[in-house]
Amino acid sequence: MATDRIERDVFITAPARRVWAALTEAEQLASWFGDAGAEVELRVGGRLTFRWRQHGTVHAVIERLEAPRFLSYRWALQSDEEPRPGNSTLVEFSLTDEAGGTRLSVVESGFADLEWPEAQQERHVRDNSSGWASELGELVAYVERQAA
Amino acid sequence: MTNWPRDAHAVMAALSDPTRQGLLDVLAARGGVTATEAAQDLPVSRQAIVKHLALLHRAGLVEAQRCGRDVRYTVQPAPLESAATWLLTVAAEWDRRLAVIKRIAEAE
Repeated sequence: MATDRIERDVFITAPARRVWAALTEAEQLASWFGDAGAEVELRVGGRLTFRWRQHGTVHAVIERLEAPRFLSYRWALQSDEEPRPGNSTLVEFSLTDEAGGTRLSVVESGFADLEWPEAQQERHVRDNSSGWASELGELVAYVERQAA
Repeated sequence: MTNWPRDAHAVMAALSDPTRQGLLDVLAARGGVTATEAAQDLPVSRQAIVKHLALLHRAGLVEAQRCGRDVRYTVQPAPLESAATWLLTVAAEWDRRLAVIKRIAEAE
């Protein structure tokens, strides 16, 4: 049972190179992630920096890079922290050609590995402004099984 | 901004183990069990069950009630639900981001 990962995908009516540009070019990245700009160092081990006016800066480090097919990075859960094991999750983007466009898939994983000292105050994590998903994940299915 | 629920990672870590998943299933199916009873239903020793129950208890996923010499454990669904809700908000946020990426890529 995968309680530790989130998988989403979307079909885009555009070639992979355009989707890749939206994922990796700072100017485009800033329009879907961060509202105060982004910086991209596009190489393995390179840094991604996402800035928000209100919430500060989130840092990520690229782990794998295969243009225009695959990109993964590890990003810190809390703003203004360097990503390291225990405070970060892994985000993996895959681009697959399909008739008439590109399938973009994203997997975020590693939630169970996060450290959370008992005494620590609840702190703000990344921007998360939208409502709840209509689709239920495996964890919800599990909850329902437990409740049945 | 959402707050990472303090118990969410403990819940996910607790659930990442197949034996504990099986144990929760047994607890849910039987309503409440002692470690000895759970060991009858699962292919692990009573000692192992006791350890797993302690971990589930720390994660808030089971409640322990002493009855006589035994301790009876029941499932507490609230932490499961809060962890699930948190994961759903993260998933919804990815849906929103993917929708924006789609708009950008298709607009060029």
